[in-house]
Amino acid sequence: MKLLHGTWIPQATDGFIQKGEFYLWVETTEAKKRRQKASNRHPRQLAGADLTTFLTEELGIKTNSRDSRNGLADAIVPKYFLLPTTGDKPLPSLELARYLEEDLPETFEWQFWQVDCCPTLTAVKTGSYSYQPVNNVVRLLNDLHFMALHDLAEVQLGADLLFWYHYTQVFKQIILNDQYIPALQYRELITPGAKRRSKKTQPPFEIYPAWEIVSDLYETELQRYAEYMPAVCTAGFDAPSDSPRLYDRETLLRHFSECLLTEIVTHLPSTQAFERKISDSVLFSCLNPQSSGMPWTSSEGLQQYQQWQMWRDRIARTQTTTRFYLYFQLQTPAKAEEWELQFQVAPKDDPSLRLPLLEYWRSRPTQQKQLREQFGTDFEQQLLLNLGYAARVYPQLWSGLETDQPVGIFLSLDAAFDFLKESAWVLEAAGYKVIVPAWWTPQGRQRAKVRLKAQGQKRVASSDKQKSYFSFETLVNYEYELAIGDQPVSEPEWQLLVNAKTPLVQFRGEWIELDQDKMRQMLEFWQTRQQNPEIGLLDLMKLSADTGEDLELDFERDQTLAEMLIKLNDKSRLEPRPDPAGLRGSLRDYQRRGVAWLHYLESLGLNGCLADDMGLGKTVQVIARLVQEREQTQQNGQGSVPPTLLVAPTSVVGNWQREIEKFAPQLQTLVHHGSQRVGEEKAFQTACQQCDVVITSFSLARRDGKLLAGVDWHRIVLDEAQNIKNPQAAQTKALLKLGATHRLALTGTPVENRLLDLWSIFNFLNPGYLGKEKQFRQGFEVPIQKNNDLTQATVLKRLVEPLILRRLKTDQAIIKDLPDKVEQKLYCNLTKEQASLYEALVADVEKQLQAAEGIQRKGLILSTLLKLKQICNHPRQFLQDSSEFTPARSHKLSRLCEMVEEVMAAAESLLIFTQFTEIGEALQKHLRSSLRANTYYLHGGTQRQKREQMIAEFQDPDTGPSIFVLSLKAGGVGITLTKANHVFHFDRWWNPAVEDQATDRAFRIGQQKNVFVHKFVAIGTLEERIDQMIEDKKKLAGAIVGADESWLTELDNEAFRQLITLNKSAILE
Amino acid sequence: MTQFSRTWWGQRFIQALEQITEPGRLSRGRSYAKNKKVIRFEINGGCVVATVRGSVNPYFGVYTEPFYTTVIEIQPLSKAKWSAAIAYIASKASFVSKLLMNEMPDNIEDAFSQLNLHLLPHSRSDLKTDCSCPDWSNPCKHIAGVYYLVAAELDRDPFLLFELRGLDRQSLHTELAKSPLGMALVAELDTRASQGPQPSNSFFTRPQTFSPGPETDLKDFWLEAKRLQDTIYPPTQAPVSAILVKKQGDFPPFWDKDGSFIVVMEELYERVKTKLPDVL
Repeated sequence: MKLLHGTWIPQATDGFIQKGEFYLWVETTEAKKRRQKASNRHPRQLAGADLTTFLTEELGIKTNSRDSRNGLADAIVPKYFLLPTTGDKPLPSLELARYLEEDLPETFEWQFWQVDCCPTLTAVKTGSYSYQPVNNVVRLLNDLHFMALHDLAEVQLGADLLFWYHYTQVFKQIILNDQYIPALQYRELITPGAKRRSKKTQPPFEIYPAWEIVSDLYETELQRYAEYMPAVCTAGFDAPSDSPRLYDRETLLRHFSECLLTEIVTHLPSTQAFERKISDSVLFSCLNPQSSGMPWTSSEGLQQYQQWQMWRDRIARTQTTTRFYLYFQLQTPAKAEEWELQFQVAPKDDPSLRLPLLEYWRSRPTQQKQLREQFGTDFEQQLLLNLGYAARVYPQLWSGLETDQPVGIFLSLDAAFDFLKESAWVLEAAGYKVIVPAWWTPQGRQRAKVRLKAQGQKRVASSDKQKSYFSFETLVNYEYELAIGDQPVSEPEWQLLVNAKTPLVQFRGEWIELDQDKMRQMLEFWQTRQQNPEIGLLDLMKLSADTGEDLELDFERDQTLAEMLIKLNDKSRLEPRPDPAGLRGSLRDYQRRGVAWLHYLESLGLNGCLADDMGLGKTVQVIARLVQEREQTQQNGQGSVPPTLLVAPTSVVGNWQREIEKFAPQLQTLVHHGSQRVGEEKAFQTACQQCDVVITSFSLARRDGKLLAGVDWHRIVLDEAQNIKNPQAAQTKALLKLGATHRLALTGTPVENRLLDLWSIFNFLNPGYLGKEKQFRQGFEVPIQKNNDLTQATVLKRLVEPLILRRLKTDQAIIKDLPDKVEQKLYCNLTKEQASLYEALVADVEKQLQAAEGIQRKGLILSTLLKLKQICNHPRQFLQDSSEFTPARSHKLSRLCEMVEEVMAAAESLLIFTQFTEIGEALQKHLRSSLRANTYYLHGGTQRQKREQMIAEFQDPDTGPSIFVLSLKAGGVGITLTKANHVFHFDRWWNPAVEDQATDRAFRIGQQKNVFVHKFVAIGTLEERIDQMIEDKKKLAGAIVGADESWLTELDNEAFRQLITLNKSAILE
Repeated sequence: MTQFSRTWWGQRFIQALEQITEPGRLSRGRSYAKNKKVIRFEINGGCVVATVRGSVNPYFGVYTEPFYTTVIEIQPLSKAKWSAAIAYIASKASFVSKLLMNEMPDNIEDAFSQLNLHLLPHSRSDLKTDCSCPDWSNPCKHIAGVYYLVAAELDRDPFLLFELRGLDRQSLHTELAKSPLGMALVAELDTRASQGPQPSNSFFTRPQTFSPGPETDLKDFWLEAKRLQDTIYPPTQAPVSAILVKKQGDFPPFWDKDGSFIVVMEELYERVKTKLPDVL
């Protein structure tokens, strides 16, 4: 693993101007052997050429200077970091230590370590032929953060870089708001030893051109971020010192911000025209300190400084805190010509006590004195100064100051409009408060717009009921209408308004702003859209999602269509349907609503995505829908429903089969998988015709694409639909070719956040709805994910929301429906490898069992049980060799990985219990390296102290989402791990009480969430039979199921054989 | 510096001189002012006294580079009149606001015309000038040179105009202090007078160091002390550019270019935001 670090390192100098540089470095997992013993080189770093290669090839940081032929290589320099050290070795960073599973000591020493660093620079063209390196840390960290977030590169950012990323975004905000000014710095030169001269003679001095940040935001954020800053950010030095040193956080941040501002502004590419505008001025000196002839030492320089100082001082003073806010409130007039802009003040500590200045002046002296206690004793001085500055940015105000008691001004209609359009913004930006009439606010504003009135057409009665699914496909009537606010406006009326002389008019008693040019465009739009009044439902939804403020959807004349779209957008309006009679088991309330949604969507001919959180039971909702539609057709006497094709990852194919058997055994199910599967087209079609559900895997959907395409499917369901996220993959293409009346996608991952996955899923559901891939990338992915474009994000949300049903287990409505503990079994098939090992073992045991007796027989039985369980977990566990621990060899492991990934994606923590130490260790390693997750492992051999430490760290709210692997015996009692809300039992124990006890580590007092318990069961193996026994336990009076497996040795040979024999249908390649 | 004054009051001040002086002398006066021939000038009790370096001129019998003493005085107003004028000024918020912002109100003459007076000199009788040079003409080029510099000084300090008209700073304070709004102005003038240069010991804030104590643990060292927010809002632009500079008004005293300072700063801010896409 490579962990990217970086921080700001000031130059080692006592000189007046102390610069600095931002450096990146990379911490690695492998330690380089040290050539010399006493070297202070950091052993776990990417050094020299390795660092260059990594930064260039993996991160795309090409070069930072135009003339360097060696790319980055020339820029690499050694720097020194004060790092926690033990035994002459630097300790790994906390992130890396977690990855390496290294125990960190309680105590350590400090030592400086030499690390190869690369400065963050980019070449900026500063003259016609000259380029200069400029610190690009703001841009670079933004890009690196984006890459790391979306896994675009093999790199992880350390907490230090994440901190700098956040801080540089704040810094950028200050730059974007122009909150810095050209500055001059006065340096007093005092010759050492000489006494300060008398005040009259000026001591020798130097004056330097500079830049200064003047910003309230900067000061408050600086304090905030100084608290956040990890100490490692303060540990980088130009040169090592004799004793351990760290930089002070606040001054380091100031140094960084000031240096960066100066570097950025002084390297601004210029033009000749601009140079002319600033030649021979202070501004020129500030922009070009090198050629400014500075520092100044003459009295003329001092004079300039003093002039600047007075100016700067007044800027700073308007930024600093007076104790009151100055308000300007525009009042809506009774008559058109009298717009009053009233001056008001309110104390900052209680803005609700707003007072018109008129009342202040009218108060008696004692009252005024009282008010001044609230507003500050220098109230009148500050008030006049602030009014003056306000008048400077909005000169109309002067007319209100021709008195010793200013109270407000009157504006003409045009002036009032200008105020609303512009001056109000300017005053607000200048730090004043502005209150505008309610009809001007975004909520209260009436605007001119074109309304789209849509109307669902009556269904044409058709004998072909199948076709009714499509009845809305093309049958929405629509019409455009001109309107202001919510009142329709006729064309002549509109024309009249377009020709109005003022932009602010009173229309039917309300003031509105008119943009005549825009209104003219709207009129043209309206005139051209009078034909072609039909549109598809999806297109209608697209149109309504994508409109700006000028076009709005309106349904006043058509209740059905309105209700339809409202229901789609607000799923809580769906009436839950009663459970189908043929469903064994009952649905929870939200699941009933889910089934209603599936039904509703399909009745409209739309295809959606059911994206409920893991554990909420997507499977059972789909099964209920299958049962329900069959009962419905039966009621209507419409014959049979064609089969549904269910495509799932191989690891859950068996689970589907078992769940259908459990909830709806009447559904005829065909598992299309394995070498025994039907391959001949005709035979396959016939087989399908007799089925309700055909289950297959993604890989077979690709391989047997042709075969599957030969059937008219009623519905295609994709489980774990994120499997088609790659549009280029053959498997995705094959699935897109299948024809079906309905399509349904299931996923538990938050698809809204992974935009390309979302596109792929929608491309399967409703091709074209989100545009072509390239359009989607340009229109949504790049703007939203890279530029954080909120408008596009909203448009996308409006587009997809009606077609996605996603309930979170944290939703209040769901919590109400859920028991505190939700248990669920996960049925997995054996892989071929597992099955052959299993069968061979069973055959071998059967032979031995004939001959064995007494203790030997008992031992044989117990060891057989153990070995079979190992095989069910993973072949490697049984073989005890060093073969690969890969998900491909065990569906159980692959399903676990998929689910853990889902949990981590939701930023939740989980526990995994197993009874085998070796599998616990292997699981931990595998999850850590494949998911890069934060993991802990507790087993019988864990020392007490270490155990306490792990628990505390796991529970700590500041630790991110983590995985805790525990052995059933060591972790089953006594400890609290309530941060986890998912518990996985990787293998099964005979006694449910033991499992429950383990589960209760998470399900204890202090647990705020619902706990989801997932128990793995290998299909057709003894695990399934054990599970069955546990289920039947209540039926077996006297509960022979003991705390351990010894009672099994009492079984006779035949019973034992039955227990362990493999059901061959359970194998799945 | 092509213009000595960019304020309306400075220009009006200059006009008074220009209408009574011969153009050749005015232009030589301007070059005297620009080329630093005015060695020093002091303003004391409403009287400007300056030393000007003259030039060698055999016609006048000047063979070595001479130094001339130049004096400019403006007709002072009486104390009583000043009382009345200041009372008027302190009764209008607009006057006080502008003076607070170091600007001469553009309708300042209203305060004087009601007394049949004027603040800015506008005729020969308002000015009393004298120079030790041999030129027979008064005002001479030396007087003109000094006069232009006084105008430039007025731009920076409009209160100097009061002083030149015979109201010294102390009296100004006393008169202002008689009314509440005037008090506000006094407070401002006091803070200004007390200000000296602010010396800095380093160009950038000097990052301080300390030696880490035993309390530092590994978590504090490697991880952020408080968890940073997961989502951060992208930086946005303010609706109005260069507002810091705009509030202060155009042509700050250190800016002696003819073009607008605000316009230049707006362009500068805009360039920073748009011309450095690889940096920001």
